[in-house]
Amino acid sequence: MSALLTIEHLTKVFPGQVALDDVDLEIDAGTTHALVGQNGSGKSTLIKILAGYHQPTGDEATATYYGNNSDGEPLELGNGRAAERDGLRFVHQDLGLVDALTVGENLALGNGFITRYGRIDWRRNRERAQEALDSLGFESVDVRLPVGALAPAQKTGVALARALLGWEHHAHLLVLDEPTASLPASDVEHMFAAIRRVKERGVAILYVSHHLDEVFEIADHVSILRDGRRVTTERVEDLDHDRLIELMVGHKIVQGRSGERPIGSEVLLRANGLRGGNVRGVDLVVHAGEVLGIAGITGSGREDLIPLLTGQTPSTDGTVMVHGHATANYSPSDVIKAGGAFVAADRKGLGLFPLMSVIANTTICDVGRNARFGRLDHRRERAEATSWIERLAVKTSSGDAPIATLSGGNQQKVLFSRGLRLDPRVLMLDEPTQGVDVGAKEEIHGIIDEAAKEHDAVIVASTDTDELIRVATRVLIMRAGRIAAELVGDDINSVSIERAQLASAHDTTSEFEPT
Amino acid sequence: MTNDNAAQSAADLATPSRSWVRALRLDKYSALYLWAGFMIVFGITQDQFLTATSIKLVLTEKAIVALLALAFLVPLVADTFDLSVGVMMGFSIAITTALAQNTDIPQGLNAVIAMAACGGVGFVSGFIVVKLHVNSFIATLGMSQVLIAANILISGNRTINGVLGDAYRDVGRTKYLGLPVYFYLMLLCALILWYVLEHTPLGRYLFATGGNLEAARLSGLSTDTLRWGTLVASALIAGFAGLVHTWKVGTYSSSIGPGYLFPAIAAVFFGASQLKGRPNVWGTLIALYALAFGVKGLQLTFTSGTAWIEPLFEGVSLLIAVALASRQGIVQVRKRRPIPAETVPPPVS
Repeated sequence: MSALLTIEHLTKVFPGQVALDDVDLEIDAGTTHALVGQNGSGKSTLIKILAGYHQPTGDEATATYYGNNSDGEPLELGNGRAAERDGLRFVHQDLGLVDALTVGENLALGNGFITRYGRIDWRRNRERAQEALDSLGFESVDVRLPVGALAPAQKTGVALARALLGWEHHAHLLVLDEPTASLPASDVEHMFAAIRRVKERGVAILYVSHHLDEVFEIADHVSILRDGRRVTTERVEDLDHDRLIELMVGHKIVQGRSGERPIGSEVLLRANGLRGGNVRGVDLVVHAGEVLGIAGITGSGREDLIPLLTGQTPSTDGTVMVHGHATANYSPSDVIKAGGAFVAADRKGLGLFPLMSVIANTTICDVGRNARFGRLDHRRERAEATSWIERLAVKTSSGDAPIATLSGGNQQKVLFSRGLRLDPRVLMLDEPTQGVDVGAKEEIHGIIDEAAKEHDAVIVASTDTDELIRVATRVLIMRAGRIAAELVGDDINSVSIERAQLASAHDTTSEFEPT
Repeated sequence: MTNDNAAQSAADLATPSRSWVRALRLDKYSALYLWAGFMIVFGITQDQFLTATSIKLVLTEKAIVALLALAFLVPLVADTFDLSVGVMMGFSIAITTALAQNTDIPQGLNAVIAMAACGGVGFVSGFIVVKLHVNSFIATLGMSQVLIAANILISGNRTINGVLGDAYRDVGRTKYLGLPVYFYLMLLCALILWYVLEHTPLGRYLFATGGNLEAARLSGLSTDTLRWGTLVASALIAGFAGLVHTWKVGTYSSSIGPGYLFPAIAAVFFGASQLKGRPNVWGTLIALYALAFGVKGLQLTFTSGTAWIEPLFEGVSLLIAVALASRQGIVQVRKRRPIPAETVPPPVS
């Protein structure tokens, strides 16, 4: 096999974090090359540099592309147009489709409409779209429908067809970033069939996935990234599941911290038959003194569990009891009244009041606490908020500064203050350190430890395995919308969490029975 | 002023480099400076400008618009538009006068019925916005047209004149310190709103709702009830403005109402650039009266054919004020929010 693309010495440094450290990668023409690694291993960064979204750090990185010239020509990294021109195409995880436009129109985005005397020739556009979809095995898609009306697998098909449109002349490398993350297991086979058709055309595929069984099913080679380095590249037939996980996790087996604290008997949160979004039936019991970690790859339901428990999103079935009080569906105020507090994953969209002061952002959940006879005592409010600013070491020019002027980590600490100020019995956190620098992350972990002391409980859903190991006393692993495994004590380590997360998605038998 | 000068002064406003420029706080107090400037310039050039009569006249004339501005302000705090305040005022007048014309109900009761009707319409608007999830802009625009139709039906599409009892006129003529009682009632209304918005938890909840609706809901606030309530309050204040109009003028005609909307909106948005960088009560009143005195001065300067001055003045000053406010505080803060891609740690996949 001859090489199609070689990358050498690729480094990417973000402030306070090395995302890629001198990475080499070689992809052979006409093969499917899988890229795997834990969260934060640098997979996304690598894809984003190829797509031109990030620039490489320093000027040592080189890439040579053999698609147009067998002697190879340099490919400019970090330049999306150059990548596109040379024959690289991408399907990103969020697909980038416009729901309100029809399938035909979506295919024209980025490729242009077929026009006649300046007027869009709708019939020919439709034909082109239908041909593109037919060739991938998506004959059932009606190109006149808006994309929003399609099933998830069909949407992925449209994104794939769009990426490949006009590629008859030119296409050499298709990059798929977790194409099956939001697909139900039954649709994955359909997706694979499409990918095999693409491969038959002689197209090489770089396939990023969390699903290891997919890697074994579809890939020829697999490269493993760990902490920004490429550990190795192997032929898939030379590996098995366990060996792959071992390579991903490495030898650092970080141990959990459980056993340090007594778990009380008081039940602080109970969920029964909870459904909604990607969660397909979850039972959950959380006791006082616990820090319960929720792990799972994207699409497993992990991302929807805290929103369902806290009323951020409506559930379709099931009940949630917080501190013995049944909470109404889709009612955050019920959760708060019952003694719950939470920090949502989407800090900007669901957490901050960007133009309001740090003080007002801190006290918003119970402003009335500092009111006397209906009048807000601004001095008392300031004193209370300031004590929180000091306690969580929030760096701000003043309590009156708009919260939008703070860094991500400090904004997050203010949101923690908002919740902790309610003296909650259960604190529910969704990706508590996403987009937060290393120092603030450590501080936030300290806050979590503190919050679960005595007789309260914390629930942390996170894609960051190390974070769960660091803070959790018990970890539940979600797969296919259900809780698939439970880890406690010494079993909480990187290998066990990754293994449980990445176990076959088609394996629906639960090895975990709720207590 | 040459282009260079204009560019320079704009730059000064954006980044006040010299300390005295900064000390002036043009970003927060531009309307006050404008007001003072008008008083000085027209005070020198126009003999009749700085007289007690003309000052009282301006204060009195604008009391109704001021009430409508306050009516528009309340829902805006919760990021909800009420474009029906002008027609709502007409609705209130139409009911009061039509009841006086066609029924024997004690006239004092007319006003109560009118207020209740306005509150009812505000309640329906709230229902449409909150429960039917219609954008408030569209909902209240639609409600405006419905109210116009209602006004035509109620009034029989005629001007209603001379049907109100003397009690109405007498209230309108009652004065303290040379100013009519309704001017003080407007101030009282402003004072109450200021207190509620700035000094009670309710006010904070309203601003939070306007600042980020979903975050407010997740903070446990009943954002639906809050927004619904602001639309009822807005309708009641607009209804009260109608009542003041019956005291002051005592006449209903179909032209009353719609024309009051723009000056009220202009005052609120201009006022939002003042003092706090968000909608607020005193900023609104300051902006309103700064413009009113400017218009008065210009009207005295161009003695005839001055009808164009007011709309031109209100339009231009609104555009300038909001553009300046956007340059500074508000938008600068927003601009920081999308952190440059290079500084974002890689999102986990």
